[in-house]
Amino acid sequence: MRRLRIEGVTGLLRKLRDRVSGALRGRGSPRARKAGLRIAFFTPALLLIMLFVAYPVLTTIGVSFFDANGHFVGLGNYQQVLGSPDTINLNGFPKPPPYGTLINNAVWIAIHLPLSMFLGLWLALVLREVRGSSWVKTAIFIGMVTPLIIGGIMMLYIYDGSIGLVPRFFDAIGIHSLGVGWLQRPTTLLFGLIFGSVWLWTGFSMIVYSAGLTTIPKEYWEAAKIDGTSTFRTFTQITFPLLKPMTIVVFTMSILYELKIFDLVYGATNPQGGVGGAADVLALQMFREAFVQLPADYGTAAAVATFLSLLTLTATVMTIRYMVKR
Amino acid sequence: MAGSSVGEGAPGESTERYRPPSGRSKLIIIVVALLVVTNVVTGLTAFYLAQPPVAVTPLCGTGASVRSASVSTSGDIGASGDASPVFTVHFAPPYRTTQATITLIGPWAGSEFDHFKPVLENFTTSTGIPVTYQQMRQEQLQQVLPADFATQTAPGDVIFMISSFIKANGPQHMIKVNANISDSDFLPGSLDPVKVGSDIYGGVYTGKVKPGFWYRKSFFQAHNLTVPTTYAEFKSLLVTISKIKGIRTPIVSGDSVGWPLSDVTEHFIATYGGASMHRALTNGTKRWTDTDVRAVFADRLVPLLAGGCFSEPLEWNTVALANWWGGLHALYFMGSWITGLVDNATDLGVFSLPPPTGTTTGIVFGGDYFFVPKYTTHQTEALILLKYLASKDGQTIQVKQGGHIATALGVPLSDYPTVDRGVAQLMNGVVILSDLDDTIGGTFQTNFWSQLQLLWVSPNQLDSVLAAIQAKMPAS
Repeated sequence: MRRLRIEGVTGLLRKLRDRVSGALRGRGSPRARKAGLRIAFFTPALLLIMLFVAYPVLTTIGVSFFDANGHFVGLGNYQQVLGSPDTINLNGFPKPPPYGTLINNAVWIAIHLPLSMFLGLWLALVLREVRGSSWVKTAIFIGMVTPLIIGGIMMLYIYDGSIGLVPRFFDAIGIHSLGVGWLQRPTTLLFGLIFGSVWLWTGFSMIVYSAGLTTIPKEYWEAAKIDGTSTFRTFTQITFPLLKPMTIVVFTMSILYELKIFDLVYGATNPQGGVGGAADVLALQMFREAFVQLPADYGTAAAVATFLSLLTLTATVMTIRYMVKR
Repeated sequence: MAGSSVGEGAPGESTERYRPPSGRSKLIIIVVALLVVTNVVTGLTAFYLAQPPVAVTPLCGTGASVRSASVSTSGDIGASGDASPVFTVHFAPPYRTTQATITLIGPWAGSEFDHFKPVLENFTTSTGIPVTYQQMRQEQLQQVLPADFATQTAPGDVIFMISSFIKANGPQHMIKVNANISDSDFLPGSLDPVKVGSDIYGGVYTGKVKPGFWYRKSFFQAHNLTVPTTYAEFKSLLVTISKIKGIRTPIVSGDSVGWPLSDVTEHFIATYGGASMHRALTNGTKRWTDTDVRAVFADRLVPLLAGGCFSEPLEWNTVALANWWGGLHALYFMGSWITGLVDNATDLGVFSLPPPTGTTTGIVFGGDYFFVPKYTTHQTEALILLKYLASKDGQTIQVKQGGHIATALGVPLSDYPTVDRGVAQLMNGVVILSDLDDTIGGTFQTNFWSQLQLLWVSPNQLDSVLAAIQAKMPAS
């Protein structure tokens, strides 16, 4: 039986080899040559994907069904993660943070996504017809090329109660309750990081929308102006609908960014998500289970990883399907 | 569209290259508007979502919501090795050798590494074994080592690592060193954090003491301040300091990921709960929510926090250090390594919290631990280095450089720089304790730090903080 299987595989590989070498030497029918070339180009990529994507993903899913001692626990790790106050902590709500990693990731999406997307769009629009705007765009885009871990460390100083730019600004304008260290308080920590990240991420949406604006024929705007259409209506009826492909890209990439946010939070706080765990996120929770916990609990970490991947996949598929349909 | 060419060519067709209008003033307005809008949005959101500060009776002048000092531009701070880049240095003996080169991984860089260099130079010269020193932070190692161990490899032959990691992984992945080092050669209890039963899985190098509150002697002299001998005197000292012009808060709270706050807290526990309470909490035989543990927090630490005696947590080796050295705060709780971070260590003085009568108090001593992985290919040479680092000879060279306290017995007091000698003397008559959160390690440690950060800014949440700390205690 085993011999038969080996012979089968060997035969298949031989056929593959013949087709590829035939295609490369120009032998056989044009159709066979085409098929051979396809295989020749497709196989290395497929092998790489199998090795570096499919295998780790499947292994991670497999590990998520086992506990730290290697015993099969079914969905136990998922139950443990979703039932943990580290993930959802709304007992006694309304209450001060922490609210748990899942809620915090949702807050990231709720605040960071619209702010960075519309701020980028607004910047792209207002900087479209201004000389010297490339300097401003470059300055804004610097945030995008800054490593997020460095961004996190910069937040330490931007929000520092003693020397931080943001607390000093609010202190100077008389809002003394915000003239304190933002990262030292559970109520301001998460918002501070989100707003700081908007500053870093807005460059992405601005550049994508700027590129999108160059693809819209300016005659559309000119015609609208001749017809006496208001600026707002021109935006809602012409500009924004024509930027839909860009919006899909920005929306999807931003959601992925917000779901897998890790390095910014880690750099600005600690492996627990800062004061009282107020800025804890799913990726940090996964990191903790795998690399801080003693002994490491890879099962729980894999469960968080799988859960995070599912969320990411769902969000991406739903967004793309919804926006493409419309 | 201003400046457009409509009407100049065929309908619907632009014949001229589009030239945008000059809009410098528009650009300035946009930039200003952007700054204002982002700040106002940020501020309003945080303002309405932030909880109001707790109303308290201030002990130290300004209350719990006191703001910290403006930045000090004092240039007196010496170099810190904390943020130095990863680097590798090779040490070879000054003569031809056939011995294999071994790799030592340690946490030190910058000036701290400069102080460690003579130790390794002496080793290679006396043994002929070349050493490659590679700097790697222990947080990095915590991520790298499990994967290496799983593939039965190791990044170095001798590796400095936190004791809780050595204890957790020793039996599986590290060489037992009972034959190479002995308990009797060290300060009592120094090797306990790397023991599993009676098996020893690592060595202990020099360590750092967390003796108490550091002050500038010149500041105390200028304001006629004296070191307190009772808790009442300590509180009175804080009140006096808070009234000095230019002082923002009497004590500055250092912070980073949270360990400086845990060091202060441990000092309060070891002094007012005693060495036995500290050990019981470390072993897990006492709960954080027990009445006597809560009392240490509620009666000693929380009133000082709520009374505005501590600043809010500031980055420990930049802002906090500069503010304290620049005279915006008078006291700074830090380990003995602070002597290497200031320009003029002879101006430093230190005192421990005044102990209550009848309590056996302790001082936390954080040793630097190292191990030899089972997967080393140079076991003999690695064990020679391990033995040397743990020896009186190796440690004597290190303590002479300053900032370190020997764990090996027999290092004469005369070999310490003056300021370290004072620290070493503070250890007389008190019980030496292992660092609580380093010993327990794991997610307890990171959670402990986060909860203390919360307590520092919301002292009214004491009970929920203690419950959260207890919740992450590992099952014993």
